[in-house]
Amino acid sequence: MLDLPHDVRDEQSNSSMDPSPGTRFSANGWMPHGIVLKDTWFPLAHADAIGERPARRAVYSHPYYLWRDKGAVIASEFHPREKVTRAASELTGGTGRYPVMERYGYVWGWFGNPGAADEIHLPNLPFLPPKGGLPGHMRGTVRFDCTAPLSLENLIDLTHADFLHANVVGDEKSESEDIKVFSDSETITMIRHCIGKSVAPAMRFFGGVKAKTQEVRQVIRIYVRSHAAIAYGRFRPGDDVPLFHPCVPETRDRTRLDFAMNTSRSHNLFRYVMPKASYLVSRQDSSMTSPQSARYARPEKRRDLHSKLDGPSTGYRVLMQQLAARQAAGDFAYRADGIVSKDCSEIIGCDPGMFPYPN
Amino acid sequence: MDSTWWAVARSEEVTGKKPLSVDIGDRPVVLWRDLEGRPRALEDRCPHRRAPLSLGCIRKEGWIQCGYHGWSYDGETGRVREIPNLKNEQRFSPVYRAERYAVHEAAGFVRISQDTEAAPPQTAVIDMPLSGTVDVALDHDRYLAALFDEPGLLLSITGVHFTTYLMSELHEQGGQLVMERSCQWKRPHWPAAFSSDYPLTLISTTEPLTGETALLLRDRDFRDLLSMRLAPVPAGRGVTSVRWRAAAGAGLPNFAGRALAWLNPVKVHPTVDGAALRKLKPTASVVFDELRRALHPSPAQSVA
Repeated sequence: MLDLPHDVRDEQSNSSMDPSPGTRFSANGWMPHGIVLKDTWFPLAHADAIGERPARRAVYSHPYYLWRDKGAVIASEFHPREKVTRAASELTGGTGRYPVMERYGYVWGWFGNPGAADEIHLPNLPFLPPKGGLPGHMRGTVRFDCTAPLSLENLIDLTHADFLHANVVGDEKSESEDIKVFSDSETITMIRHCIGKSVAPAMRFFGGVKAKTQEVRQVIRIYVRSHAAIAYGRFRPGDDVPLFHPCVPETRDRTRLDFAMNTSRSHNLFRYVMPKASYLVSRQDSSMTSPQSARYARPEKRRDLHSKLDGPSTGYRVLMQQLAARQAAGDFAYRADGIVSKDCSEIIGCDPGMFPYPN
Repeated sequence: MDSTWWAVARSEEVTGKKPLSVDIGDRPVVLWRDLEGRPRALEDRCPHRRAPLSLGCIRKEGWIQCGYHGWSYDGETGRVREIPNLKNEQRFSPVYRAERYAVHEAAGFVRISQDTEAAPPQTAVIDMPLSGTVDVALDHDRYLAALFDEPGLLLSITGVHFTTYLMSELHEQGGQLVMERSCQWKRPHWPAAFSSDYPLTLISTTEPLTGETALLLRDRDFRDLLSMRLAPVPAGRGVTSVRWRAAAGAGLPNFAGRALAWLNPVKVHPTVDGAALRKLKPTASVVFDELRRALHPSPAQSVA
């Protein structure tokens, strides 16, 4: 099964996205701690977690204090009780206040040039109610002691799930498996289609699935700038399991994940149990990504080895570097193919009738 | 000449009754107070026969006297003032002197510098009544790295759990290295990784050369619960001598603040759990060397 070493260090970037045609980006040269992407919305908090009492968040160590004033959410560099001894940064245009908005049950804070903040750059999440209101048991918070891109690479690398999370999502056995990867200038999407896959234990015990195998379509779609991902699983027989998996880089080496899993269309027990699996799965992931992280913080002469199953993760590494190179060259604009707010229901395989939320 | 100021003693450790032996790296230093109560510092080595001056005594004139042959030195200049067998000699050549250090005392710490012309250090003036000294068998750089990566290995604050989660990574701010760590109260709660909001935060501000660190524990409402100053100094044989001072409860309402101060919630550990230290992965400390080199191309440890 493995094809080692599969060397993708010289993977050619798409020259249409590349600021300097011919530039080559390397999956092995990826140093995620050194990449800070700007002009993007970050889902900083579940909307109902923010009240009149200021809550502390951060993006790349920049403080974001969130609170409500007469119901309207405020994102500030400074705590209201802070004796201000530092100047307001460029991220707030010197005003001390970040652009902020509410959508999909989250408070989103803008990171970058405040003049460029626009809701057209807000990632589309078709399975979450735009005005919020998802029940509390479908949401939660997890933190990772690692750099956010490693958490996202972990997510898009679904082959680890059959191994590390076999007790939740099932093992690697299937009759057939097909993986597709495609990207535009802002997103990368992986679609994995398995037939005759072992039924996930969580689904067998709590989802009422009696069959021994399932047809599984799993989609991971990463909004690269926002460090946010959709993980949409469709299990037949079984349920749809749509997960919003944002990885907010509170520092370059720490990640906050305020997740939302809309199991409102699932079987009774499953809808309560499955979101809680995130705590178990994240612990398992953290046991690997945490010790990994420092090893990606510095240049490394030895190359990572890759198998042919690593296309999605190496593609993510390359796309991230392309975006970083564009920004380093002063190009922070979103391109025509990168309208992240465009409806992605079809791409992720979400039946529009399943979550018919009014906008 | 190295003009670094090292906090080698707490004020109450330096007396006019008994010399105090400290060291900066492999260089021994003796401290005492003169007749006016001013702290004085000389190399802890009698230039006569190299005996440690700290084994001697402090004379009524405020001079320090070697315990071997009784040579006496004044702390202000380091010059020999008296030799027992030559009491008729009132003047000695200027070469008859011990190596002197500049001394500065503020906010409960005595700091010394090898450069006698060094500008006085800028120090906080806050009164910190709680204090202590420990010698830790861990070298200075590793002590600081552990402080950045897992402060719980080196100190504890009653009732407070230091999480692994950082709200601000180690970064330069006004010539200091600053970082912020989320903390929890020690009581039943969700595991740290799954908590939505942390009730406490620990802000550390470190002087990059000496590692002298100000710690501020603050609650979610921006009230200062505890201020602390930790002064690790490289000592002999790779040991780090740590002096610390703390003030608790200043930002709390009356009773709670007084109770916290009375309880003395701070403990700085004299030993480090080797097994935990070995497994501690470098995270915040990864950038320490780089940041320090950017600020000070020649590390102070080379003089120690």
